[in-house]
Amino acid sequence: MISFDKVTKTYQRNWVALEDATFEVAKGEFIFITGPTGAGKSTLLKLVYKEEDPTKGTIKVLDQNLRFLKKKDIPSFRRKIGVIFQDFKLLPDRTLEENVAFALEVIDTPPRDLRKKLMDILTYLRLSHKRYFYPYQLSGGEQQKIAIARALVRDPYILLADEPTGNLDIKSSHDILDILLDINYKGTTVLMATHNQNLLKRTKKRTLKIEEGKLVDNQ
Amino acid sequence: MALGIGIREGFRTITRNSSLFFLSLLVAAISLFLLSIFALVTVNLYTLVRNLDEKIEIIAFLDDHADAMNLKASIQKINGVKEVIFVSSQQALTDLQREMKSSREVLNVFEDNPLPASLRIKLQPSLRNGRGLAEISDKVMLLKGVRETIFGGELVDQLKRITNIITIFDLVLLVIIILSVVFVIFQTIKLTIFARAPEIEVMRLVGASDSFIAVPFTFQGLIQGLIGGVIAFVLTMITVRIGSSFFNQLYFPRMWFFVANVLAGVVLGMIGSGIALRKFLK
Repeated sequence: MISFDKVTKTYQRNWVALEDATFEVAKGEFIFITGPTGAGKSTLLKLVYKEEDPTKGTIKVLDQNLRFLKKKDIPSFRRKIGVIFQDFKLLPDRTLEENVAFALEVIDTPPRDLRKKLMDILTYLRLSHKRYFYPYQLSGGEQQKIAIARALVRDPYILLADEPTGNLDIKSSHDILDILLDINYKGTTVLMATHNQNLLKRTKKRTLKIEEGKLVDNQ
Repeated sequence: MALGIGIREGFRTITRNSSLFFLSLLVAAISLFLLSIFALVTVNLYTLVRNLDEKIEIIAFLDDHADAMNLKASIQKINGVKEVIFVSSQQALTDLQREMKSSREVLNVFEDNPLPASLRIKLQPSLRNGRGLAEISDKVMLLKGVRETIFGGELVDQLKRITNIITIFDLVLLVIIILSVVFVIFQTIKLTIFARAPEIEVMRLVGASDSFIAVPFTFQGLIQGLIGGVIAFVLTMITVRIGSSFFNQLYFPRMWFFVANVLAGVVLGMIGSGIALRKFLK
């Protein structure tokens, strides 16, 4: 599903964010990417959804060598991947429903399908009663759920989560992890970057550990 | 479908960032107004220069018994002569009387008509200068029946030099104004796009194509240009109304100015948002 072969990413002034990383992720896996802040976890995820290009090495995602993915094909590639962030990245001037619907409108979903998918995902995340709320009227945990809904509503093959619990309290963090585990159980491959050791202990899943750009543990 | 959403999003951009939109609209309107006024000055300057140029001519006074029609035909054959108009001595007197309405008594001093008949000779544009006038005048003087010729000569050259300088100055200024207007409009559009940076980021994240992202902003640029152009035109019209009490015969082709203002607004608005967005999507 995802494979990194000797991937190095160097930013300006020769700052190495990721060095010689090689690993594979099989379909349906749940993987933690862990390590201290600034170790290169976000860079790794950005390379997967081609927000960044590697300086060296080969990345394959969904049987596609990203080096040969043309700029015009990036949007359709990204539609198969969901991404959530620490800061949620919701649009503050839109209701929950509009925030989620936005992801469907972008890919020209017919209105009837759109309504059904919207209701399904909001019901699944137990948020349908708040669908006319604006993000600022919600707790952090609820906002992250909306971000998850936006990522999931298009049934992605892969879900990338970049410190999704970074801004949340313990209970909300556990809720979010449970949702991600459930999504994984239903078949979606999940890569979750976190430095929260409590969460890692909560479930036994494969962990990629990064320190100063190097993959130090892959178990 | 996608276009409908794009236009809806465009309206959203306008209403949610209304103060920024109005600022940008105001800047566009004022810039276009400035351009429009300068275009008005330029158009009028050119009309004036052309009218002056048309007035450059040689007047050949004829002997009392000259064969005017024959002379007219001969002069017309000279290379570089565009048109020859015969003015009889009676016509000359009538013209003079009309010009001197208030002091008609002066003319009563004469018993007969003292004015000779004349031929007004208009030249091809390339010869409307001191040398050209002298050259044609010399040829006319050789004809039998021509008593005397008068023409501006030196004065015409001076006038030409002045109008040339003014025209060049005007053109340079016009180019500078066009460039600054384009720059200012582009920059303000960029501001409105940067205000929506988080939205663009989310759009890209969820796999919106570049053209999908571009539609709302292009639409916004179009609306802004359209309204800005209309406002600029109305302001220009008011200025012309006020201006015509100071200058008579202000040349203002209304339809052209309307079309040019709106078109300039729309084209600049759309190109501006396109360029700003392109930088952003890189």
